[in-house]
Amino acid sequence: MKSGVYLIVFLLIIPVQASLMDHLSVGGIKPDLAMSIIYAVGLLASPAEAAVAGMGLGLVQDIGSAGLLGFTGFTLGLVGLLAGLLGRQVLNIASPSNFIFLFSFSLAQGVLTALLVQLFYGSMPFFSTFFSRMVPQALYAGILGVILLRLINRRNVLGLLRRRSRNKEF
Amino acid sequence: MLGFIAKHKKFFSLLLLFALLFWLLTVQVKSGRFLFMERPVLAVSGLIERIIVAPFHFVEYVINGYLFLVHTEKENGRLKEEVDRLKIENAVSNELIIENQRLRELLGFRTLHPPASVMAQVIGKDSSLSSRTLTINKGSTDGIEKDMAVITPSGVIGRIQTAIPGTAKVILLSDPGSTIAVRVQRNREEGLLEGKLDHCALKYVSYYADIQEGDLLVTSGLDGIYPKGIPVATVVKVTKHEATAFQHVVAHPVVRFSRVEEALVLLK
Repeated sequence: MKSGVYLIVFLLIIPVQASLMDHLSVGGIKPDLAMSIIYAVGLLASPAEAAVAGMGLGLVQDIGSAGLLGFTGFTLGLVGLLAGLLGRQVLNIASPSNFIFLFSFSLAQGVLTALLVQLFYGSMPFFSTFFSRMVPQALYAGILGVILLRLINRRNVLGLLRRRSRNKEF
Repeated sequence: MLGFIAKHKKFFSLLLLFALLFWLLTVQVKSGRFLFMERPVLAVSGLIERIIVAPFHFVEYVINGYLFLVHTEKENGRLKEEVDRLKIENAVSNELIIENQRLRELLGFRTLHPPASVMAQVIGKDSSLSSRTLTINKGSTDGIEKDMAVITPSGVIGRIQTAIPGTAKVILLSDPGSTIAVRVQRNREEGLLEGKLDHCALKYVSYYADIQEGDLLVTSGLDGIYPKGIPVATVVKVTKHEATAFQHVVAHPVVRFSRVEEALVLLK
């Protein structure tokens, strides 16, 4: 993907997530834009590129938040890597099954984050957070991600963004 | 061995990056959060957030100021009644303040002055799975500094984490990195309120302390950040385990963070 696109995404991710996504919040649950973007990168680029992009975008989010540096970088990097591997093997950008994968990835990211929070901050309420926050957020991420992917597909952004073919050596 | 690594260099590079991130996390647990690039990132994101929220604020202003004037007269009457009631309460409070000051002087106590404050508008809310912060549209040029208390008329929101000209980041009291010294308003039992993302936990409360569901927790002023007596959270669950010397107390913040639009920063 072109470095200019990455620069714009890195610059806009915090303000858009913090202010624009707030207006899309339902019951305090906001869609995770970064997750959807990294998933899309995973489908469009190589797994390594998606993993590094995930780490970078996560680190930017960590700097902008109050959490420990590396928290989101670590989890989003893993999401990018998995999406990249999956994208090479199974998926394409127009497939409706993207919703299920986005939902699963978002849920997995939530569980991993909760485990890291447990590890680094001590006791955290896992089960209440799982049902009250992680599952609704994963559903929201799935819906937003599918809309985002359809927009990318319809407007033929694919050709603009793709730098290398998906079957390039990992 | 080296040949194997060279053959799979992308895989090992990624592994190294993940290991580096995990190492970074473990280091911060011991030494505290790194403040790497925080100010430039806040400057850029704060500027863009202002641009993004400006049309939303304008639309809200037009809708609330011009279109939704249907109940204005009724609202005006209700507010006038409330102003009259508050005037009476204020007169009584003033008498109590004067009496309190006189008694403090008689006892040789230091006279208390209410802190100066700055009203700020919320321009961004970050509620990721691991942290809770707000961005406000006032910063260091308005006298705001790190660790100043941020409140609303209902109670405490949190404290300033970073302040730059025109923007500041507020760490909410439900963030895992937030700790506030509080006391139970009813019986003055003290403890530390820690953020647990969706709620807070009152720590270091003796097993024998009298804590009940519904108790209001207020700032004790012992942490040097928050003035004493401001509402913080309400106790929702108390569990006693005989194996430990402390009680497990769960509390919910009195302020609904998702509904906060303006906040008051207390200047030191």
